[in-house]
Amino acid sequence: MLSRHAEALFWMGRYVERAEDTSRMLDVTFHNVLESPPAEASTAWRELMEVLYLDDALADTEVDAATVSRYLVTEGDNPGSIVASIALARENARGVRDRISSELWEAINRFHLLLGDRDLAADLEVQPYEVFRLIRDRCQLIAGVASQTMPRDAGYRFILLGLMLERAEMTCRLLAVRYTRLLHSGRQMGFHAWLAVLKSVSAYEAYIKEHRASFDPSRVLEFLMLSTDFPRSILFSLRVAEDQLQRLVPDSSSSSILRLVGRVRARAEFCDIEQVMDEGLDQFFDALQTDIYEVGAAVEKQFFRTGTDLELHIVEST
Amino acid sequence: MPNAPSSATTVGAYTRLMPETTSTKALTQFSEVFDGDEIRPHYRALMQRFSELGSADLAHRATLLDAIFRNLGITFAVYGGEEGTERTWPMDLIPRIIPAGEWRHIESGLVQRVQALNLFLEDLYVGGQAALNDGVIPRWLVESADGFLREARGISVPLGARCIITGIDLVRDGQGVYRVLEDNLRVPSGISYVLENRVALTRVHPVAFAHHRVRPVNHYGSSLLTALHAVAPPASAGEPTVVLLTPGVANSAYFEHAFLARQMGIELVEGRDLIVDDHVVSMRTTHGLQRVDVIYSRVNDEFMDPVVFRRDSLLGVPGIVSAVRSGNVTLANALGNGAADDKGIYPFVPAMIKYYLGQEPILPNCETYLPWDADQLKTVLDRLDQLVVKPVAEAGGVGIVIGTKAGDAELAELSEKLRNNPRGFIAQEIVQLSTHPTLVKGELAPRHIDLRPFTITGSHTEVIPGGLTRVALPEGSLIVNSSQGGGSKDTWVLAEDPL
Amino acid sequence: MRLEIRYSTEFAYPSMVRESHNVLRACPATDANQTVIGYNVFSEPASRVLSYTDYWGTRVDTFGIRMPHNRLVVAADSSVETSARAEPNDIRLPAAEYRNDEIVTGFHEYLQRSPHTAWGVDVAGIAAGLVSSETDLVTAVSAIHVWVGERLDYVPGATYVGMDVNEVHQQRQGVCQDFAHLAIAMYRSQGIPARYVSGYFYALDQSIGTAPEEAEIEVQTHAWVEVMIPSWGWWALDPTNLQSVGDRHVKIGHGRDYDDVLPLRGTYHGTETHELGVAVHITRERLTQQQ
Repeated sequence: MLSRHAEALFWMGRYVERAEDTSRMLDVTFHNVLESPPAEASTAWRELMEVLYLDDALADTEVDAATVSRYLVTEGDNPGSIVASIALARENARGVRDRISSELWEAINRFHLLLGDRDLAADLEVQPYEVFRLIRDRCQLIAGVASQTMPRDAGYRFILLGLMLERAEMTCRLLAVRYTRLLHSGRQMGFHAWLAVLKSVSAYEAYIKEHRASFDPSRVLEFLMLSTDFPRSILFSLRVAEDQLQRLVPDSSSSSILRLVGRVRARAEFCDIEQVMDEGLDQFFDALQTDIYEVGAAVEKQFFRTGTDLELHIVEST
Repeated sequence: MPNAPSSATTVGAYTRLMPETTSTKALTQFSEVFDGDEIRPHYRALMQRFSELGSADLAHRATLLDAIFRNLGITFAVYGGEEGTERTWPMDLIPRIIPAGEWRHIESGLVQRVQALNLFLEDLYVGGQAALNDGVIPRWLVESADGFLREARGISVPLGARCIITGIDLVRDGQGVYRVLEDNLRVPSGISYVLENRVALTRVHPVAFAHHRVRPVNHYGSSLLTALHAVAPPASAGEPTVVLLTPGVANSAYFEHAFLARQMGIELVEGRDLIVDDHVVSMRTTHGLQRVDVIYSRVNDEFMDPVVFRRDSLLGVPGIVSAVRSGNVTLANALGNGAADDKGIYPFVPAMIKYYLGQEPILPNCETYLPWDADQLKTVLDRLDQLVVKPVAEAGGVGIVIGTKAGDAELAELSEKLRNNPRGFIAQEIVQLSTHPTLVKGELAPRHIDLRPFTITGSHTEVIPGGLTRVALPEGSLIVNSSQGGGSKDTWVLAEDPL
Repeated sequence: MRLEIRYSTEFAYPSMVRESHNVLRACPATDANQTVIGYNVFSEPASRVLSYTDYWGTRVDTFGIRMPHNRLVVAADSSVETSARAEPNDIRLPAAEYRNDEIVTGFHEYLQRSPHTAWGVDVAGIAAGLVSSETDLVTAVSAIHVWVGERLDYVPGATYVGMDVNEVHQQRQGVCQDFAHLAIAMYRSQGIPARYVSGYFYALDQSIGTAPEEAEIEVQTHAWVEVMIPSWGWWALDPTNLQSVGDRHVKIGHGRDYDDVLPLRGTYHGTETHELGVAVHITRERLTQQQ
């Protein structure tokens, strides 16, 4: 398939997942801070910005629920805002309308139009949970429609690849910030903090089923990183991504991208959680994030940049 | 008029082009359906069917039609309006019928015209320019056509097929004579409506098709692909790889580009998807570069290659012209066809037919005046309020002034333009265009129509039976363009042997 | 005169660029006054060159380099034998001859405004004054030629490619392209067919144009003008130095203006910044040893 189409599908998947993950984190942080003293609330919002690599944004502002949620949902200056992500997902979908099912196009297009029709800033003030739920629901609808209406061809695989790499990266970031902050402060992590981490990736119920209400930091970490059944764990996301790549690469025996993704997945899969916690979580997550980023870069290089991403210029010589 | 020939040089061959009658024509108009009070024979069964439908039923079916188009997303972008406006193009419920005999005449006329235009372009770009040397067409006129691409000189094309896809506009004058209004030899659009109109009408009013043998149009994609295979570079191995090149989603005809790519099962590419290496064109795919043999281009010539054409544009595919010149890839249509469909060249097409084919033109032109000729300019200025004036290089009805409908100020401005740039315009007698019953607010009312049939030329020229019938929806309007309140009709060509 | 010419252009980029495509017009023409004995073009990195003769009769070499590179050298070597040119000194024709319809339609392309020769009223007015005061056609052509040569000072860097010809006229400075374009604009404004010539000139200083002492010199590409003299032919005139166009002028090709015969145009993907070096080396072959 055309590299341009593959690239658009890949990014469509990524942007939808990014919007969903952002709304989940907002939702949970909201819940969390309701029950915390104001000083901790501010810290929690700062942490959230950090997870999203937005430490510098709003640096001069007093951050609270209103400023952060507005920034992350509607802010036009923030290219990673939910509204911007969905607009970009739609823009990518528009360029490949012929490559996706009409149902999928409609699901994305309707969501984009819906966000434009609402006064989101006002809604965020009076009913933030409803806004977050709406975003999560619609993103899940898009993923569901994709899975139910798209043939399992290269196009679908690029969507899923983008979605899973984004998810792995987002979960990784979330864990990195929450855990390292916690371990550095040396405080005991409370019940609500664990709840929040799990809930932000919809893992609460699944975790309880497996481990009951015993919130051991290493167990929570292990679950979110290494669960082979829970669809938002890092390992699960990487395995799905790896599976897509195996089907997309023409000659799998000599593919450097397959060796790379296999190595990254294995590094996560076979790590010793206790040892990692002893040796330093921040280092570990840094390395893992770099790994996932490199898989994304390799995808670009292998499939999209068969030509060039460089700008065209005209020269003349007399 | 700087540097244009004075009338003294244009005696002889060119004065023949002067319309024979210069008196005001009686503004008669031809009715497609009615001959006096009688319904013409080929319309009787159809009109009977429609008369059986109540006006509520008619309205209901019209609504259904509209819904089909909206749901299919068959829209065109409106330039100049609000950004990103997309409209559906209204399709009328009542089809236009062309009997077999009439169609034979149109078909043979179009084949003849396309043949002559191909020969002219071939002569101009790779031949000895015989028609120019022999004074059949003034050389300076061709040299001053915007669409004459000097960069295309010396580029030969397989089978001499330069006008591979055309949409030549026809109108019927007051006597019902089919006349050529203009030649579109570059990137004619509208074929998607021909195909979709047929599908939509069979869904909404299948009964209307009873009692007729309507010739199908749905083989268009396969016919076009066959022609595109036929013009592939002779050296290309196996089944040629064909792609459709679009300017992108922002183009007003993007829907049609995507539609045609789907019909033919070929890749829809943009300039940035293609790369030229060693004078060979390839597309960038997830499995590396894949060689391309034939490009059905819907991109205007001047935006094809920034190495060769406009230095203010970075669009297109750098190096593609040299790849075409090498014969490693075929462009459809060929580069430089604008030299032949310039409206200033149009009056000379009948002469081309005589010169290259030794035949009388089957389809006549509309009566046309050339303002660069001093005598004709005088006539045009005298009768400006009775004529229609068109810029030579515009498309889509842009810049057309109909004398009878223009105010004094507009006419004065037009006179000035004609005097300053006589080569830039032509003037024609106003053709009233035939009328056809059309559903307007639940009632049938006569509206003016034209016809754009589509030809495909590979190893031979094929005319798709029917074409796009455009209808001017405002009462009395003669402007059928989609951007100016036009609609369309399904066009039925009847088979030779009736049911 | 036997001249060996090397035209070379070098592009240097601070980082790797890709997919370069180029169109080169550096090969001398073969006509009544000069014969090309040899011509060879190459690039580094190497590429397959496609050559053809364009609409104007000029040889064109096109080539592309897909793989990443940070330096591109294009060189064209030619060997050409030139001879002196005739001048229409004996021609006596009325200046009104240019209003003949054969001229008007036959040389239509060389009578129109073009991007580099789009004259305004000032330029046309001066040209009209020069032409109307002369009844003889050749003298009228000479008058414009001399006027342009005296009007403009040769100042490298004072103008840029694409500068409006009326602006060039106003600022009274320019390089050879500007001299040629201004002269062409003035001729055409009076209905005198004129065309732009691109070429090489064997002279150390193109603004003076005297013959060099040295056998080998380094120069730049040059430009001059050809004017149609009815029933005689194209008369080559070099307004930059007001010297006759003779056997030290080597013509590459002609067109309506610079754009039709520009030496090298290309595109590439990559950084916008680049360094460009153009050099033309001309060596006069001394044939005396051949006895």
